Amino acid sequence: MAKRVLNVEDDPDIRTFVSTVLEENGYTPIMAKDGEEGIKKVREEKPDLIILDILMPKQSGIKMYHDLKTDDSLKNIPVVMLSGVSRRTFLRSQAALTEFGDETVPEPQAYLEKPVEPEDLAETLKKILG
Amino acid sequence: MKINKMLFVSEFEELWFDALQSLMGLRKCGLNHVVFLHVIKREKVAMRRGTGFLKQEEVKLKEIADIRFIDWAETLFEEGMEVGAHIAIGNVLPKIISVSEIENVDLIVTAKIERGKFEELYAGSEISELLRRTSKPVLVYNYLSQSNKAGDDPFERLLLALDWSVSSERVLDLVLALSGATKRVEIVHVLSEKEIGKLSKMEAHKLERENKKRLDDVCDIFIKERIDARPHLYIGPTEEQIKKAATEHKSSMIVLGTRKKSIWKEKWAGSIAHSLAENSELPVLIIPAEGS
Repeated sequence: MAKRVLNVEDDPDIRTFVSTVLEENGYTPIMAKDGEEGIKKVREEKPDLIILDILMPKQSGIKMYHDLKTDDSLKNIPVVMLSGVSRRTFLRSQAALTEFGDETVPEPQAYLEKPVEPEDLAETLKKILG
Repeated sequence: MKINKMLFVSEFEELWFDALQSLMGLRKCGLNHVVFLHVIKREKVAMRRGTGFLKQEEVKLKEIADIRFIDWAETLFEEGMEVGAHIAIGNVLPKIISVSEIENVDLIVTAKIERGKFEELYAGSEISELLRRTSKPVLVYNYLSQSNKAGDDPFERLLLALDWSVSSERVLDLVLALSGATKRVEIVHVLSEKEIGKLSKMEAHKLERENKKRLDDVCDIFIKERIDARPHLYIGPTEEQIKKAATEHKSSMIVLGTRKKSIWKEKWAGSIAHSLAENSELPVLIIPAEGS
């Protein structure tokens, strides 16, 4: 059975791009357009991997990542960050959330900065999902 | 009434990141989420004879806005804040209304929105229309105004204009919620000359006493919250006197509510809050009447 990958991304053009890469590499894409819808889809669909953007309406990828990694039932789902926000900022923001009294969270499985080449995305997914 | 989530509307002309940073004093009052909105005006990417819809231009403008918002967001994320962004094409006003509702923000921050002279004459200004169509507090932030003496923290010295209407209670609630960011509040009520002129000397004194007592009572509420507050009674044309009071007391922001009026009454009789928002060089925080 094809592995299911949830892409949480607000930009419709990038959603289409990621969806195409996923299908061409034999994965089943699931789409969400912001962090709020994303976390709902994670609970409903239990995907094998999540590709997560950061700057989105309603709920950012920073908050969604933190929520995922502090939820016992979801924390083992691998996450690939795909964003224009730098890795350094992402890590610092997670540290800032910890500073405000939250739990420490592990780093994501991979961090890709936009724009990403289709081959690099496919390669990253293959490394994680096999 | 609390301000946890703020919508920051930027055309990348009047309001830049330094304007946003000057509002970060609100973090002391619970602000933890900023939503950016940039609207690309339709005419910039609209159909042109011979070239059609300017798709490339749309992609370019969206990309520019995205790069700017990512840069701003990175700073806020690193401070532990939550950030969201919307980049849209169309008319500014409907987008502000829809995003403020989708995101359920507690405060809308915008600069004055320019409209054509002809459109303004018949439809009124965009700010007036925004104030009519939203029930959320709106901060009209004239950040780049030359004579803006607000400095870096517009919430520090407030001029609170109260007219004792129902909306005054909402205004008070909001200003009390801002207590963490505020050092001083000048509480002002303006009596009109017309109102005084109709009264005998005795009645005029009585009216003055009553209003001073009400102002003192409001001051006591702030003093209990450890905010320095002073009462002031002015007489004259309301808008002019509010501006005068703000200058005399070196206020950094004017805060007032709106009364519920019909669109036509407001269009022809005008509204002090709308007019101040349009004309004041200081930032003006307006709390619309409930049910707006």
